[in-house]
Amino acid sequence: MAIITISRGSYSKGKEAAEKVAARLGYECISREVLLDASERFDIPEVRLIRAIHDAPSILDRFSHGKPAFMAYIRCALLRRAQKDNVVYHGLAGHLLLKGIPHVLKVRIIANLEDRVKSEMSREKISEEEARSLILRDDQERRKWTRSLYGLDPWDSALYDLVLHIHKLTMDDSVAFICEAAKLKQFQATPEARQKIDDLVTACEVKAALANETVDVSVTCEFGNVLIYTKSGERMQHKLQEMARKMAQEINGIHHIEVHSGVPAPAHAI
Amino acid sequence: MEQLTTEMILVMAMIGLAVFLFIVEWVRVDVVAILMMVALPLLHLVTPKEAFIGLSSNAVVSIIAVIIIGAGLDKTGIINKLVTPIVRIAGNSPSRIMIAISLTVASISSFMQNVGAAALFLPAIQRVSKALKIPISKLLMPVGFSAILGGTVTLVGSSPLILLNDLITPFNLKPFGLFDVTPIGLGLVTSGIGCFILFGRFILPKGSDPASEQTGEVDSSSLLEEIGDAYELKTPDDFTHYRDPVQIDDLRRRYLVNVVAVMEPPDFKIMSPSADMEVRSSMDLVVYGMERDVRRMAEQEGMLLKDGLQVFRNEVAESASGTVEAVVAPRSPLVEKTLRQIDLQDRFRVTPLAIHRHGESYRAEIGDLVLGVGDAILIHGTWKRLQALQAEKSLLFTTPVDVELMRPEKAAFAGFWLATALIMILVFKIQLSVCLMTGALGMIVTKVLSIDEAYQSVDWRTIFLLAGLIPLGIATEKTGTAAWIAHAVLNAIGTVSPIVLLAIIGVLSTVFTLVISNVGATVLLVPLVVNMALAANADPRMAALVVGLATSNSFILPTHQVNALYMGPGRYRSVDFMKAGAVVSVVFLAVMIGIIFLFYGV
Repeated sequence: MAIITISRGSYSKGKEAAEKVAARLGYECISREVLLDASERFDIPEVRLIRAIHDAPSILDRFSHGKPAFMAYIRCALLRRAQKDNVVYHGLAGHLLLKGIPHVLKVRIIANLEDRVKSEMSREKISEEEARSLILRDDQERRKWTRSLYGLDPWDSALYDLVLHIHKLTMDDSVAFICEAAKLKQFQATPEARQKIDDLVTACEVKAALANETVDVSVTCEFGNVLIYTKSGERMQHKLQEMARKMAQEINGIHHIEVHSGVPAPAHAI
Repeated sequence: MEQLTTEMILVMAMIGLAVFLFIVEWVRVDVVAILMMVALPLLHLVTPKEAFIGLSSNAVVSIIAVIIIGAGLDKTGIINKLVTPIVRIAGNSPSRIMIAISLTVASISSFMQNVGAAALFLPAIQRVSKALKIPISKLLMPVGFSAILGGTVTLVGSSPLILLNDLITPFNLKPFGLFDVTPIGLGLVTSGIGCFILFGRFILPKGSDPASEQTGEVDSSSLLEEIGDAYELKTPDDFTHYRDPVQIDDLRRRYLVNVVAVMEPPDFKIMSPSADMEVRSSMDLVVYGMERDVRRMAEQEGMLLKDGLQVFRNEVAESASGTVEAVVAPRSPLVEKTLRQIDLQDRFRVTPLAIHRHGESYRAEIGDLVLGVGDAILIHGTWKRLQALQAEKSLLFTTPVDVELMRPEKAAFAGFWLATALIMILVFKIQLSVCLMTGALGMIVTKVLSIDEAYQSVDWRTIFLLAGLIPLGIATEKTGTAAWIAHAVLNAIGTVSPIVLLAIIGVLSTVFTLVISNVGATVLLVPLVVNMALAANADPRMAALVVGLATSNSFILPTHQVNALYMGPGRYRSVDFMKAGAVVSVVFLAVMIGIIFLFYGV
């Protein structure tokens, strides 16, 4: 009974590891499903969601609501899956999207650059030079993305519970480690942890519903009490209050909802 | 036209700076005034003596005395006594009640600071609203506007008018008498109340239906239904065995219930426990909250909800503790702070329950909200602790908690000294400041209030705002800047009849007073308009009078202190002021110019 996220670079065998862990524990293995869920639910083409979660924000993104809105949709879809528990997620940025949930086992799988280059060469039928530059560029893009959205470096091992280097450790060894870790007490869902996920889902639903209107909102939810934080002025506040009243009817799990304007949002807000 | 001198440019720069700082509010308005007091002599625009002459001016001393007299009247509870017979006379009709209270407030405010009169009446109005089931929003705005308009009835009613004589002295104009403005003032009060009688239903906010606003037997507040009631719960013996520690604050955040008292076994009772106190096994708690929230907490946390109060029957009884609605006063040190920074819980051992602002009530994480003038806070605590909080004067309690602090037996003395001061002004024609100070001194000598209470009641911010701006007026006049601007403006508008000129001055003053303070507007405009009037062959005294009156025409935005004060308790939004204020402002200008035209021979 756990949620496992597997973070990986391209061609680092993370997907294989995720599938094997899921198979051994009888969990659901998800990645692209999350984007499909989000695409269906919010009626956004999948390719635009991929761009939002994969590419580092460009200058243009600073002027549009696009990217933060898409991130809210993706996060919402992933949390809905996580709510069911027993999942292995090996898509992008799982450890960041599921921030705040206590029982997530965060794993990072890394492989030797040379091994990765070889796999890429054989799969894509390209030269070593090209493969190396593709992989390095991809790594760089991930770095920029996490930096710009979360101010973190994905290569910082302190972000994870386990970092496994597939080289001397074989794939099977790694899978065994992960499965062992997932059985530990601290990765089991407690009632408190479940409440946290439910609250996060509610907060994300609210954020997603507001994302089209404005980017300048942060949302927290504790035991169904939703707080919308905004820096904007009185007029926006009235609009948000109207929307909040409507949402209280439409979104499940809202017990009470308030808009606080001119108040800095707490760090854990979404 | 005269040549523009360097000195004139400097004065205009200083005026520009003052207006700019008034608008952007980087520093408080009184600091701006002190800045002027210091900068003007440094720039050799006024002499050092002139720079501080404001502190000893007739106007400033009068205002100090008026504030002390107002505080004395407040202490004796005269106001509360006034309201009961008024309501009896008015009967049950909402509009008659509105007229009666408005007229009373207007007459009180004609002799004391407007915001003081408005604040004194707030609790009484709320009680009347509750008792007669009239929506509070239908009463407060007419009464607030009347308090402002009442300030135009006598020359001591509002700061701009008190200042007026001091400002026209340099021009060798005849000073105004105490009742010289009364015809206009009465006209303005009548037309203001008339507006609400005729158009009340269109310009006043609809207000929530009285039924939902007026529930609850407890005589504390109309917000009560939003915070629910008191419930007593008990935690099971094994409460802490199988869960993470739960703190008082956790319960508030998760279930929106406020713990106001706990008893640890065997019988250790704590009122208003601090937020980080841990909830332990076999503990009795009294919480304030809505029933559904309390039930949800009892269910999820496995607590036992008792039938009614048991252990705390005496402590939470109405005689020992209660819930009050307290409004953040204008210029309160709490403005721009959060409840978390103020820490009422630890400093006064009282529990804030909810905040009401601009028609919205806030119950979750209220510690984070930045307080503004007019925000109403619901606070629970023992009466003793609430009194300590009230004594701090940063919050205006709309529910009386200090019955024994009042000195009702001194009411006759207070009335006597007010009458003495008025007789001295009217009959003996002694200078205003001397008469008023005699009244204030009389109240102190007859122990209506102590000298320390008198000192405390004086708002030094008002005093320095007034005194600091007077040298700016002097500089404007002395350097010829006022004359120059007046000529420039007159050249721009061309030749107009005196009455049109006065109308223009009225509009100009109204705009100024909405943006900067009424005192600031008066000081800046009086020298200008006197010069304009002289140049256009109109009566300069009337021009000054128009400024003194029209700077009270501040209804469209809730920037006037009275409006800011009533905004929270009346559940008004800025839009409500724009709607009602626009009508009253236009009527104000029309009536003022009309009366001046008809009765003052312009």
